[in-house]
Amino acid sequence: MNNNFREFSWSIVFAWIVLSTIGLFAIYSATQGPVSQFLPEYIQGNFIKQIGAVILSMILLITIQFISPRTFIQLSYALYTLGLFLMILTLMFGTEVNGAKSWLRIGPANLQTSELMKIATILATANYLTSRRDISAENIRYALTAVLLILIPAALVLMQNDLGTALIFLTLIPVMLFWSGLPYGVSLFIISPAIITYLTIIEWYYGAIAVLILAAIIFLVQRRIWLTFTSLITGILTIAGVQVALLKILQPHQIARIAAFTNPSYDPTGVGWNVIQAKTAIGSGGIFGKGFLEGTQTQLRFLPEHHTDFIFCVVGEEFGFIGAALIVLTFLFFFIRMLNMAGSHKHPFAQLVTVSIAAVFFVHFFINVGSATGLIPVIGLPLPFLSYGGSAFLTNTLMLAICLNMDLYKREFSIYR
Amino acid sequence: MATSSTNRTRTSIRILQAIMLGMSVIVLGRVFYLQITQYEIYAALGEKNSVRQEYVNPARGLIYDRNGKLIVDNEPIYSITISPANFDKDNIPFLATLLGVKDSVITARVNEAQNYSWQRSSRLFTEIDFGTFSNIQENIWRLPGIGHQIESKRHYPTKMKAAHILGYLREANQVEYEATPAMRLGDRTGKSGLEMIYQANLSGQAGLQYLRVNAFGQVLGDFKDEKIGRAPVQGDDVISTIDADLQIFAEEIMVGKQGAVVAMDPRNGAILALVSSPEYDLSRLAGRLDRDYWQSINVDSTSPLYNRAISGRQPPGSTFKPLMGIVGMHLNMITPDTRVYNNGAYIRGRAYRDVAPIGDYNLEKALTFSSNTYFFSLMDRIASQGKLNEWSALVKDFGLGVSNGIDLPSSSTGIIPDSTYLNNRLGFRKWGIGDIINFGVGQGMVSVSPLQVAQMTSSIANGGYKVQPHIVQAVRKSGKVLERVPTKVEKINWVKDVYLESVIKGMRGVVTEGSGRWYANLSDIEVAGKTGTAQNPHGRDHGWFTSFAPMDNPQIVVTVLVENGGYGSISAAPVAGLVIEKYLKGEISRQNIYNYVLNFESRPTNSEKQLDE
Repeated sequence: MNNNFREFSWSIVFAWIVLSTIGLFAIYSATQGPVSQFLPEYIQGNFIKQIGAVILSMILLITIQFISPRTFIQLSYALYTLGLFLMILTLMFGTEVNGAKSWLRIGPANLQTSELMKIATILATANYLTSRRDISAENIRYALTAVLLILIPAALVLMQNDLGTALIFLTLIPVMLFWSGLPYGVSLFIISPAIITYLTIIEWYYGAIAVLILAAIIFLVQRRIWLTFTSLITGILTIAGVQVALLKILQPHQIARIAAFTNPSYDPTGVGWNVIQAKTAIGSGGIFGKGFLEGTQTQLRFLPEHHTDFIFCVVGEEFGFIGAALIVLTFLFFFIRMLNMAGSHKHPFAQLVTVSIAAVFFVHFFINVGSATGLIPVIGLPLPFLSYGGSAFLTNTLMLAICLNMDLYKREFSIYR
Repeated sequence: MATSSTNRTRTSIRILQAIMLGMSVIVLGRVFYLQITQYEIYAALGEKNSVRQEYVNPARGLIYDRNGKLIVDNEPIYSITISPANFDKDNIPFLATLLGVKDSVITARVNEAQNYSWQRSSRLFTEIDFGTFSNIQENIWRLPGIGHQIESKRHYPTKMKAAHILGYLREANQVEYEATPAMRLGDRTGKSGLEMIYQANLSGQAGLQYLRVNAFGQVLGDFKDEKIGRAPVQGDDVISTIDADLQIFAEEIMVGKQGAVVAMDPRNGAILALVSSPEYDLSRLAGRLDRDYWQSINVDSTSPLYNRAISGRQPPGSTFKPLMGIVGMHLNMITPDTRVYNNGAYIRGRAYRDVAPIGDYNLEKALTFSSNTYFFSLMDRIASQGKLNEWSALVKDFGLGVSNGIDLPSSSTGIIPDSTYLNNRLGFRKWGIGDIINFGVGQGMVSVSPLQVAQMTSSIANGGYKVQPHIVQAVRKSGKVLERVPTKVEKINWVKDVYLESVIKGMRGVVTEGSGRWYANLSDIEVAGKTGTAQNPHGRDHGWFTSFAPMDNPQIVVTVLVENGGYGSISAAPVAGLVIEKYLKGEISRQNIYNYVLNFESRPTNSEKQLDE
């Protein structure tokens, strides 16, 4: 700790404080509002629990700064193994919340093991990729091993029936490979199915247009005929696959969820109801909002999951566009700053970990706010630092603390290259 | 290598930052679109979500008797309501279980409510018992779109039945609620009696309440802007002219008989009691429709729903004779001293029988002993001198053969024939004196209701004033201002005191010396009256008695019709005597007559035919 604290990234900590504070206000509104006596008791107590989590996280954030960044490299595989073990335990003995079996009770604490696994996976995969000589991902064998390291926990999370978190793991694959030197064209090729799928759900010919454009970009960037051709074939197969899935494979409730996304009035009382209520909450907020504790959608519980997955709507309704834009812009600043921080690192492990964590935060942000505003089908993921949830808040802060730690020690850390 | 790696890093950061910037801008644009571009749409949607419009039912007006005794009030009933827009049809089986009815019943009601209005709430089930009601209240959060309401139904606190006066309420049909903007599906409206005639006063005005509800339909309280709501306006109270004690008494002694009792104040036409027997039980029609009971009173051969007192059309028989005397004197056909000899029959083409003792009769005696010959000859002269239409017009001045405008539905006009009527009925000029002579004794085509006979009797008793029969004297607005219903009392200008004098003497004679002397003669009240027997081609004759008392200062007119009772003197007169005594003395002194009346039975099939008494 002989470092110069002027180099500590205070602006990111400030963003963290802004987001957590807005989150606390929103959770207070959702659980302690004027008609909260109609809420179940376990929800009424959530505000106090969240305050506890925030205080605990602050202590954690400070404590982590006293650890040498090399510790993260040294512990990465051990953490990964421990994480997998806990995940399997969760699958066997876990408790189910909202259909996802992702909670493990250890003593008094109720732990969401997949949250911890995110950190372990990032550290382990980053360690694996950066401890190889040369730019590792260009070697197909290393790349596949890295993919496997991510896919195993992703599969376990999927078995826990937590689609949102599984998506987080899957996005780590293109991000980490891309950062480790995968050619731009190939990286684009890897994420292209996601883009095509999204557009195909809206209209199949949007997907078809995207296939052509993406193939053209890949050709221009990479100048490889075989890659361009493969991307075309993959794109067409993706469109066909999505159509088949919609018609044959997916369960009715999953189809309803997707149909409700493209047309909420398709099922106005069921899945579409959530979408309509969320959009109504945000839309009715207007520029300045209805005022703290005055949001009818929030207070009268028309808004489902208002203090977890739809927390953004609470802010949107009660603080209006001003509040919503503040969140979006703070997050944007946060992401840009983290990426700049990654660029300032000399050590590839620090770079890769920081980029991965920034990407995890971003995907959380985009999926959560996208769901709430009806941009994408509803996928249940919390908004980092705002949504209620102790495990999530602690692990998110832990991830941030690791980035800040590596940034703080970057001069001495880079020596150990 | 290091340089290219650094370049690659820098480019990668820029690419990632560009992607994040781009996607964040999309998110921000989306938020802008929802909150600023589409604000109007979502603001309205938000309001609609959390504010529910509820109707607040006003208390229906109460009905009092003339002495301020409460005779109709309200008692609470519990209803379940539905807002079809918020209702999920998957909940039908659950709701059916809670209510204990079949799914199909609920489905049908839900569809009906939907057809009525998708947004407004209407009643799904009314008058459920309190246990079921609380059960539903507990589960109401599981049943979005379902609400509850506490309403009221009519309650009758006295022993009085008075079904034909008070009338019953039924759910308004589609035509009715579409014609009345204030009415909703399931609202009840008066379908007969006072409830129907005074519907506009009694119903009051429904209030509107805006309530805040949460997503589970739990009511959280009033919506903050209370100005847009509207308080219910309570229905007006109706103060009737009925004397509840007298009505109960008259109903009691008419049990087991078919017929009617009308008691009227001759000074103003106020109805003191009006009984049509058999009665039906209004309290069984007050709440949810009891189909079995409704069916049974509809098919009953004695037609309890039929109001014999005001809708009946019967020949008045000899009760018509006093009026004949008055009209005869005005037409200068007779004077009080005109004498007619009765030798047992009046011969004019054929013999018209007369059972009065053979002898000489003046008007007074002809009334007292009900001699037919006197009135046959009178009618004969009227018709022969071409004064039939004049006669008809004079009779109508006493309220017979014309509508009487009482504030009850379906009162009949009756028939007092004139040449136009006879031409229509029997063919142009195909009628003759033989069709007319019977009119003189209130038979043949002459037909009246008991109410009309009472009205006519009132005019004789009160010195020749035509009164407007009415059953409501005042309406009390919710502001407690009493609004009197105007009554009409009008002198019939051609009636002279001298006409009435001998007629009243004759009617007094009926009670003291004539056929009324056994049952209608009270020891300390001077009663004047006239018996009558209406020929009934379908069975035993109907007995009539119309009367007033005290003779010098008449306070009550009582007209009684006992169908198939035979002679009016033995069937109707005792009833009238008891009613007069009850009203003027407050109690019954002649217990034997009271028992006689209670045990009196009409014998509809006995064919004992008598033209007169």
